[in-house]
Amino acid sequence: MRCREAAHQLQLYLDNRLTIEQARALEAHVANCAACLEELALLEEITQNLHHIKVVIEPDDLNEQIMQRVAMTAQRTNAPRFSLLRPSLAEILVAVLLATIATLGSILQQPTLRALLPIANGHDSLSLAVMSLLHMLTTVDSNRLILALWLIGTFLGICITLVLAGSEMRSQWLKAMMERLPVR
Amino acid sequence: MRERSLQSTHSIGMPFTDAVSSTAQQDDLQLVAASKNGDQDAFAQLVRRYQRRIFNLVYRMLQQYEEANEITQETFLAAWQGLPAFRGDARFATWLYRIAYNCSLKQLEQRKRDKALQVALEAEQGNSAGIDTELDVHDRQALIQEHLSQLPAKYRIVLILRHLQDMTYEEIAEILTMPIGTIKTHLFRARNLLKARLQALDNESDRGT
Repeated sequence: MRCREAAHQLQLYLDNRLTIEQARALEAHVANCAACLEELALLEEITQNLHHIKVVIEPDDLNEQIMQRVAMTAQRTNAPRFSLLRPSLAEILVAVLLATIATLGSILQQPTLRALLPIANGHDSLSLAVMSLLHMLTTVDSNRLILALWLIGTFLGICITLVLAGSEMRSQWLKAMMERLPVR
Repeated sequence: MRERSLQSTHSIGMPFTDAVSSTAQQDDLQLVAASKNGDQDAFAQLVRRYQRRIFNLVYRMLQQYEEANEITQETFLAAWQGLPAFRGDARFATWLYRIAYNCSLKQLEQRKRDKALQVALEAEQGNSAGIDTELDVHDRQALIQEHLSQLPAKYRIVLILRHLQDMTYEEIAEILTMPIGTIKTHLFRARNLLKARLQALDNESDRGT
């Protein structure tokens, strides 16, 4: 064993972090190396002195002071983090419904795929209703479509802002809005 | 704020022999569960159980008695507020130590920011250090203690937890949320720094004689 390696292991030796084999090899080296023996003695002195640093007594009224402050402080509620990013069951169902409608819409536009679906053979009332709805959506005037999308987007934006703002802010806004209304 | 002469009036000269045993851990679990439900008496018992260990950790980090008192209070208050979020993945003691360490670091950062306070503290420390050096100039333990207080915080904390609080590498790693390899490295460097300072002092005294 070289001194460089021994120097690294001396501290682990003092902390009992070496295997028996490693410890024996180190002891054999230290027994024949004055420099490493001196280093070990110094490290032992340091660790011993650190171990014997005296415990400091805390102020007598520490517990009382802490508990006084505790009595005046409420515990934080355990709200799950990123709760807004976790969809509820209703939200998942809506997403699944919208995805199904979108998929059906794309399928119904393909005659070959449409023929595979039993409900969409073009003769029963359900498929006729679906087809007419689809036809209305695809042939609607682009200006009206944009207006409808703009209205839906604005409504969703307001809803999201209100949800994120929290109940306190919502109530403040509502109060401010009510005060500005001409008729109460 | 003035540091009190701790070694003579506040020291009891005994290690923390009431280290967390399995029975104490069991008790902790019950007390923590009650505290989470807002039971202040249960929390007061937890405070009594850990206040000395936490106070000593904070005191050794900050080296100011009154400041350590304030930060210990902050630690327990933060624990009280955060208890509902404590999931019990770690032991309560580990979690508490982590809060204490973070509060101490925050305070050290605050000191750095507040230069005026820093100057005042340094002057105060300088005065008390001068007295200590005069009184204990031949006392190796006092020297080591003084050098310990001058080490960078990341090295000081590992020495405090390892030697003053008798913790294992694994416990230290859990508290500081660092890999065990990093703890080993920090301990190695911290002791080497102390060793180098003692050696320099020995060389100086050899030259003097």
